[in-house]
Amino acid sequence: MAKKNELIKGSIDSLLLCVIVQQPIYGYQIIKELDSRSQGYFKFKEGTLYPALHRLERAGLIRGEWQTLPNGRQRRYYHITEKGLYTLAAKRGQWLDFLTAMNLIIQPVGK
Amino acid sequence: MLTVLSNYLESIRDNLRLDHSSEKEVIQELETHIEDEVEELRESGLSEEEAADTCLTLLGSAKMVARQIYEAHSQGSWTQALLAATPHILFGLLFALNWWQGVGWLLGMLVLILIMAVYGWWRGKPAWLFPWLGYSLLPVVVAALLLLYLPKSWSWVAILVYLPLALWLLYSITVQTIKRDWLYISLMLLPLPTIAGWFVAIEPVNQFPEDWLQRMQDFAPWIGLTFLALGVTVATFIRVRKRWLRVSVLVFSGMITLTIVAYYTDGRLSIPAFLILMVVMLLVLLSPALVERTLRHSG
Repeated sequence: MAKKNELIKGSIDSLLLCVIVQQPIYGYQIIKELDSRSQGYFKFKEGTLYPALHRLERAGLIRGEWQTLPNGRQRRYYHITEKGLYTLAAKRGQWLDFLTAMNLIIQPVGK
Repeated sequence: MLTVLSNYLESIRDNLRLDHSSEKEVIQELETHIEDEVEELRESGLSEEEAADTCLTLLGSAKMVARQIYEAHSQGSWTQALLAATPHILFGLLFALNWWQGVGWLLGMLVLILIMAVYGWWRGKPAWLFPWLGYSLLPVVVAALLLLYLPKSWSWVAILVYLPLALWLLYSITVQTIKRDWLYISLMLLPLPTIAGWFVAIEPVNQFPEDWLQRMQDFAPWIGLTFLALGVTVATFIRVRKRWLRVSVLVFSGMITLTIVAYYTDGRLSIPAFLILMVVMLLVLLSPALVERTLRHSG
């Protein structure tokens, strides 16, 4: 489990950018989205989501905006920025190269 | 909201150490998250208490969340690092280039320091303000020392009138900023141990101020070096994210600068005096943590 958490920790920036690029989204919805799209694989301490979001925001990759809902509650929606799109494209490329190379190595050799 | 959830948010607020507007946004965002999650858990059939407990388990420790959010916000830009290091660098150059005897340079620097201190205070006390604030308080400290060295009647004026006023000024600034983060007070007080070290090392024995000025002249390049070292320290402080690293950087720089004072003054600083200065340095840099704790607990 610890190793899985380390893997998630190392990929959290890419995961968040991939979710935020789809639509403006708020923290709790991100947790739900990651959970459903990964079929329950990406579960982590929810408290660690906000430090990661704030780090990405300070790096200029995403932008947070408060929106008032019809019931008066306020939610902070995250939008991807130009810089975020560029970073995501680079990260996607790196991941695809990595996965292709990993698959070549770890898949069983056919007889 | 249940008390257990309010206490959780309060614990995060206590450990965040961010400026007021950032702190408000973080707490509001987490509060919305908690409300969403508790609502969904209750809809799934849990009681209010069970939903609150599950939500807190999923969020993780308040201290850990606060620490990670602090680290996400704490790192300043290179511009902020340069801005924070500037008063130390200017002070270092004042001695290294022997400008310290020019009244024009001293006045120019004093005016710049006061302008930057007022500007930073008005801009919501960012981290780069505190070194400037420290130097803006320096004339207050130096005036107190000079009053003590003047003829006896002036010493009484210093003790009865000036020192209480100066201490009140230092105290009120400390109280206004320490509740946010005691480390900024340490950042403000950073040059004090070094100044005290040089003061003790070149302490006048017979003729004041002639003897004193001559020694200042002799040691000026090394005095400049210690302040340039403080400039590097402050820039590093602004750039690192972790609190323990920030504390280490401040303490390490205090040790280095006092060692430079002892080394280049060729034995003027005795070993007991050096050790006492080290203890004073640790007290100056770390005691704000105790003051912060006391102020927080007293409400």
